[in-house]
Amino acid sequence: MNINYSNYKKFHPADIMVCSIARMIEDHEKVFHGVSSHLPMVAMKLAKAMHAPEAVLLNIPGGVNSLSSRLSKYSSAGDELWNNSEAVFPLEKIFDLSMRGELDIAFLSGVQFDKYGNVNASVIGEYHKPKVRLPGGAGSAVLIPTVKKAIIWRSKHDIKTFVEHVDFVTTRGNIFKIVTPLCIFGYRVSRLFLESVSPLSSMEEIQNHTGFSLDYNDFNIIKLPTPEEMRILNRIDPHGVRYSEFEK
Amino acid sequence: MKKVMRLQEAVKQIEDGMTVAIGGNVLHRSPSALIREIVRQQKRHLKVIKTAGGHDVDLLCAGGCVESVDAGFVSYETEYGLAPFYRKAVEEGKVKANEHACYTVMCALRAAKSGIPFMPVKGMMAGDLLKQNDYFQVINDPFTNDAITVVRAINPDVAMIHVHECDEKGNAVIYGPKYDDELLSLSAKKVIITTEKIVVGSKFKFNPESVTIPYFLVSAVVVIPKGAAPCSCSKMYDIDRSSIKEFLGIQNKEMLEKYLQKYEQRDRQSKNGVRYGEY
Repeated sequence: MNINYSNYKKFHPADIMVCSIARMIEDHEKVFHGVSSHLPMVAMKLAKAMHAPEAVLLNIPGGVNSLSSRLSKYSSAGDELWNNSEAVFPLEKIFDLSMRGELDIAFLSGVQFDKYGNVNASVIGEYHKPKVRLPGGAGSAVLIPTVKKAIIWRSKHDIKTFVEHVDFVTTRGNIFKIVTPLCIFGYRVSRLFLESVSPLSSMEEIQNHTGFSLDYNDFNIIKLPTPEEMRILNRIDPHGVRYSEFEK
Repeated sequence: MKKVMRLQEAVKQIEDGMTVAIGGNVLHRSPSALIREIVRQQKRHLKVIKTAGGHDVDLLCAGGCVESVDAGFVSYETEYGLAPFYRKAVEEGKVKANEHACYTVMCALRAAKSGIPFMPVKGMMAGDLLKQNDYFQVINDPFTNDAITVVRAINPDVAMIHVHECDEKGNAVIYGPKYDDELLSLSAKKVIITTEKIVVGSKFKFNPESVTIPYFLVSAVVVIPKGAAPCSCSKMYDIDRSSIKEFLGIQNKEMLEKYLQKYEQRDRQSKNGVRYGEY
């Protein structure tokens, strides 16, 4: 089926992000998402329903490959991810899996990122006398360095998020991708670089919303969700919990 | 000694300055009624332990009960956002935030449950949490001489866990996700259980594997139906959205007292005697 790209504006950035994230998941990979992770939660289900039927979906409550379609808008750690699952593999074991080098993908986030791949999920201001105490990195500080592919997503892309220098380094390095509503960053030789641009955005917009100068050689345009992806997306997430991160 | 007791008595076992670990995860199966009673009894200087906290940590901070919080994450997740009372208390310097990765809390508890002083953990050397917090140290592996991070053991004085069923002796059953509650029960000196209902112990004789926490680890049992509310309790009830919204709107002491009062009768309803099947 052909997509009419002149209609791209009908897509919500969350739809584009979810599909981009889902496409990063390969078949047979063991994939984990944690708390406050609605976009990855939906993306993991989408990947499994599309191109990665043998992907192993893991989450905090511990339900393996949960099939429940009653997703929660307020949480990505509740028992809807336990019900209708194949087996139980709780958080403690998932961490251990990553420590011994066998977790393929973990989805993590943060509040500030800089071009060196530093991630801050801890504080704005000084660590011991913060201006803003953030929730904390949850699993980030141990998962980002140990998982095979650490995928970071953030529903905000502005100069407060992508900064010249982070206020605090909760963890750093080993970033596979950073997915935002405007673009996807890759990471090589200790630097973030612009890899793909959302069809809803432009180079200008991305640079204006990024607090460091963009590094790129060539980049591509993110492929819009296909009708098939949208159909399955609406089936696995009929109530649109994937939009909740954008409603704050 | 009789373990089944009133909420007020159970919370009297918690002393100022104690290290208290909280069961559940974010807005799921927190021992909320127990937390409310701690605030009512105005406990002070508690050192709070939780992998990923939410309303529970926030309420203790609102009540001025907390000295420090060791956690990997404290927030209400996506929809309800940051934990305002925790955040304010840390920003004003009243509460010390000891940030962990959720896993380093687990490793610290694993050390405690094994009776050893610390636990090696991978990954932390990539970031700066270990530079700012003395509970992380980098040592040399005595076998290979490679540098390795260790986290100091956390041995809670009390673990507070809400469960679905418990018998009079304290055999406790959690249905659905157990989160880190088994680990908490093994690493703490004392375990206080709040339970949706009391069941007869003989129920477990047919399937002893269903018992999550065996009785000899448990020191107190309090029957509190809906004891996790406004948090969820798997297979029984979801979060109470209006209560969470009311709590997040609290501006002063009077409003907090009013909020706690609303729950008081319900929280304290359990009597000394156990009446099976009524709960």
